[in-house]
Amino acid sequence: MTSSTAGSDVPALEISNLNVWFGTSHRSSKGQESHAVKALNLKVMPGERVGLVGESGCGKTTTILSAMGLLPSTASVSGEVLLNGVDIISGGESGMASHRWREIAMVFQGAMSAFNPVKTIGWQIIEALRIHNVVGEKQSTSRAIELLGLVGLKPNVLDLYPHQLSGGMKQRAMIAMAIACEPKVLLADEPTTALDVVIQDQILNLLTSLTEELNLALVLVTHDLGVVAQSCDRAAVMLGGQIVEEGAIEKLWKNPSHEYTRKLFNSTPDLASALEKRKSSGSEKKATLLEVRDLSVKYENSHPTTDSRKLAVDGVNFDVRAGELVALVGESGCGKTTTVQAIMGMVDIQAGEIRVSGEDTVRLRPSARKQLRRSMQLIYQDPYEALDVRFRVKDTVEEPLVIHGIGGNRASRLQLIIEALEEVGLTPASAFLNRFPHELSGGQRQRVAIAASIVLRPKVLLADEPVSMLDVTLRSGVLDLLDRLRSAHDMGILMVTHDLSTAIEHADRILVMRDGKIEEEGTSNAILNSPRSSYTRLLLDSVPSPNPDSKRGLVQKNLVS
Amino acid sequence: MTEGQIRQSKVDPSSRGGWWTVLNVLRQPTAAIGFGILAFFTVISLLSPWIKPYSTHLASCAVFEPPSASHWFGCDDGGIDVLSLTLEGGLISMYVGFTAATITILIGATIGIVSGYFGGWIDTVLMRITDYFLVVPQLVLMIVVAAVWGPSLEHVILVIGLLLWTYTARIVRAQVKSLRERVFIRRAISIGSGHLRIIWRHILPQIGPLLVASTVLAITVAVFNETALAFLGLSDPTAITWGTIMEHAFQRAAVSTGSWWAIVPAGLAVAILIMGCYMLGRSIEDALNPRLRVSYLSPYSWQLRTLVGRGKGAL
Amino acid sequence: MRRTGYIWKRSVFAVVTIFAAVSFNFVLFRVLPGSAITRISRVPNASPSMKKALAEQFGLDKSMWDQYWLYLKNLFTGNWGISYSNRQPVIENLAVAFGNTLPVVSIGTIVAIILGILVGVHSAVRRGTFADHFSTNLAVLFYAFPTQFLGMMLLIFFAGVLPAAGTHDPFAFNQTPWESFLDYSKHMILPVLTLVLTLYAENALIVRSSMLETLGEDYILTARAKGLSRRKIIRDYAMRNALLPIVTMVALALGAIVSGAILIEVIFSWPGIGRALYDAVLQRDYPMLQGGFLIITVVVVLLNYLADLAYYKLDPRVVD
Repeated sequence: MTSSTAGSDVPALEISNLNVWFGTSHRSSKGQESHAVKALNLKVMPGERVGLVGESGCGKTTTILSAMGLLPSTASVSGEVLLNGVDIISGGESGMASHRWREIAMVFQGAMSAFNPVKTIGWQIIEALRIHNVVGEKQSTSRAIELLGLVGLKPNVLDLYPHQLSGGMKQRAMIAMAIACEPKVLLADEPTTALDVVIQDQILNLLTSLTEELNLALVLVTHDLGVVAQSCDRAAVMLGGQIVEEGAIEKLWKNPSHEYTRKLFNSTPDLASALEKRKSSGSEKKATLLEVRDLSVKYENSHPTTDSRKLAVDGVNFDVRAGELVALVGESGCGKTTTVQAIMGMVDIQAGEIRVSGEDTVRLRPSARKQLRRSMQLIYQDPYEALDVRFRVKDTVEEPLVIHGIGGNRASRLQLIIEALEEVGLTPASAFLNRFPHELSGGQRQRVAIAASIVLRPKVLLADEPVSMLDVTLRSGVLDLLDRLRSAHDMGILMVTHDLSTAIEHADRILVMRDGKIEEEGTSNAILNSPRSSYTRLLLDSVPSPNPDSKRGLVQKNLVS
Repeated sequence: MTEGQIRQSKVDPSSRGGWWTVLNVLRQPTAAIGFGILAFFTVISLLSPWIKPYSTHLASCAVFEPPSASHWFGCDDGGIDVLSLTLEGGLISMYVGFTAATITILIGATIGIVSGYFGGWIDTVLMRITDYFLVVPQLVLMIVVAAVWGPSLEHVILVIGLLLWTYTARIVRAQVKSLRERVFIRRAISIGSGHLRIIWRHILPQIGPLLVASTVLAITVAVFNETALAFLGLSDPTAITWGTIMEHAFQRAAVSTGSWWAIVPAGLAVAILIMGCYMLGRSIEDALNPRLRVSYLSPYSWQLRTLVGRGKGAL
Repeated sequence: MRRTGYIWKRSVFAVVTIFAAVSFNFVLFRVLPGSAITRISRVPNASPSMKKALAEQFGLDKSMWDQYWLYLKNLFTGNWGISYSNRQPVIENLAVAFGNTLPVVSIGTIVAIILGILVGVHSAVRRGTFADHFSTNLAVLFYAFPTQFLGMMLLIFFAGVLPAAGTHDPFAFNQTPWESFLDYSKHMILPVLTLVLTLYAENALIVRSSMLETLGEDYILTARAKGLSRRKIIRDYAMRNALLPIVTMVALALGAIVSGAILIEVIFSWPGIGRALYDAVLQRDYPMLQGGFLIITVVVVLLNYLADLAYYKLDPRVVD
């Protein structure tokens, strides 16, 4: 092993002039080819944390996969990847195997599926230790337990299978495995993307403290500038395969030189500026459109052994008025999506009442339920799945009109379709009418889905995480559209979201949900500035701010508590 | 569902739907060859009454006469031209195969769709029944049923059709079950579409390509079982099929006299037809399976490209 | 704790399936039109007293429910009727036949599974190479050959080299046990070879596609990142996980094994269960047909049950 006495001026990881191309197959290096990473340079010193930020498809994951030599066979690579000054990719894939995990390790995005499902966590960690001869056979178990302790897991995790761990625990175990051979460099690909904010905060703190303890160089790949601002010293912003700007995080925040960096910072949700960014707020009291009273819903597939008395939604009460946007905020599994589905009549409810415009909707005959569907519409999370790929835009938007017998003939229906498309900002509508989903971007797809909902002129719009699958720069457009719809048409909107800052920026009122119950309810202002529940406070504390200055205080606060 | 607000979309954003995939599949050599074989056999069989060179009832040469210029495939124990037999047998064998496969798909698709779409106790009951038919050895059941009902071509078709739907039912059910959870189906429900409309407008077109693949694969099993039943003497003894040709040859000592030409044409015809159907059906099924698109352990590695400051990669 | 529910459910299913097969058997042979109630007692050339005794044993003059009850009782006490053809008890005939089928089918199946796994794994990890195309297409070819056709071709090809029919040389007398065993084994070669060739192909294709699916899983990428050797990744990650669907598929292919065995026994005149079934069909020997169907079904259901238990052992995620 090369000692680090060479001084701290040798970067732990240096990527220089890296280019990656993808061909259509492993042999056709000519022909159609995409240039995924273009002349990329990146240096990371020991103990330094660098964020690699960008939106989907910008080449950030390709960059770190090529640093590990894990690219598919369709790729060709040029440039250098230096570990402690030694080029590791010049020998091709076969030359890299000995460096992997030993000197450079990786934490994957999908911790859910990154573990071998049929082996225990302990087996997989010990395998990493044994394969690189880090410890002897006898010490391997005690070393594995030690590693688990480092990441805050109990020794009994050793004997558990991956499916027996929660998402956060799996990611901790993954980190334990990654640091098993004491690598110099750790690459983390969206390590917290699939996790709830509170868990995300814990994982980020863990990564931060580990880099300090072990003098580890960390490259954190993420789409979320907040995450980078919270945990990194430096950041590199990627766009179209290139690093467009690089520098200390404070500098990027205060004084971004590239247009794109500024745009990215502006679109990243920020609690501090959320209230300022708010547009209007309908302060006058209007008619109540949706009333939910003592709503309870059982778990859909309850296991015989789970407590049968435990409810997915447990006695929830709230109202949505005309022209009002109410946000239902909570972590995954808190029952917020089930609540929405119960309101739509798509799951059976256990107890309670749901009224739309004063009319009870729970005990409805099928014909009346169909009528109800007209006055209440739901927007789904995933714009890529929301549209039938075989339907043209006009067919998708026309379908609800046909089902409900609105519009009489084709021509008048077409008029309604065009109005709806223009309403959601797909102008000119004629350019979109005949397109198929694969000819639309994610944001456009979500707009088509919204158009197909509002074409029925519903009174209540339910939105289940409407922007969480979109790139950050596209989110505000869709959220602004929702804002506009409720003020222009006096719609009542109930938006489910996991993101407190989005809720504060756009909602009039916020309901914080936890374990099937409403933990706290209040105006955005009240929730942000004077939260009563400790859970709300925890959520607020965990939201990563893109402002690096607010980080110090936050980390310290967490350390104290 | 339990964890993660931001999950990756299961759908390839550039997807244009299954039929597009099916059309694209025909560009692969395997699928194209399979399609060619199927088309060739269909055409030849339909034309067989006109193109067979000799009668299949009257002797046209000596007993077990070897292949020659006038009798390409030789003659069987009755002096009947084997080429003519094979051509005529193809028509009936393929008729049996196609009809039985159609019955199979109709039953399998109905059970699969109902089971996957409605779920709940309907699903449980239907799937237990399916499990039963999967576990019971089918050829044995066919033998017993055919033996009790008596040998006839219609019985063979019915028995094969009624016993082979399990594979289709299971694969269709799995597909419909996952479609049922897809957002565009849920959206259709929340718009107020009825079940029939959703099944007809959204689900059937989605599983259509899969049904095509299943049908083609079902033909292989149906033809295979027809020859097996015929070989065991359970088909109509007067009908000429590839199965009865082989059975006849076996009973009349074609093996012990070394008269391979009485067996090989029919046997190879079955093998080539099954191969063609399998290649086509499997290619479509594989193309529709998103799990086969990624491989993290390729026999090839990525390549290093050296740059000397020139060329299109150099910057 | 929850995991035991799985075993319980599968056990119940196995029992119910056997019961369903037993009942189906009863219905098929007695209730369906065209199958006269009196068939069971119509043993050809039987004395009137024997006919009478049989009619009594099976309650042929009683109501259908009484008959069903008697049928179940007889089934469990081993009274499966008298074969029409050789007037021996069905159960004894079947026991002899089963003893002959067992070595052929078990050796053939085991060899075919091992060969199928080897070929399938190798072509999956060489996806897209010449070796993969070659072995996959070869497997498709053997998959496509009708069993009886392959058997007859082997017979013609090995005519005079290997024995073509039966279990022993009919002209060899006074064989020592060792000679007898050798003779038996020699007679087994062609039937086993035919079975192996038809079965390995299907197994190889199943294993290959199952392997290809696992090779796209994220944990394969993790394993590579960990710096594991290709061998280790294939063995502990890809194969270990691909094994789960393979176990299910191979169990479901048991029916195909049985079909193959019947055809093979007919072609090579091997006196096993399949041959017995075939002869029973030809001679309208209904008691034998009924017994043969029952014994094959029970064995297949039990093997499926074993596969379920194996799955339980192999997959820690199995609950419910």
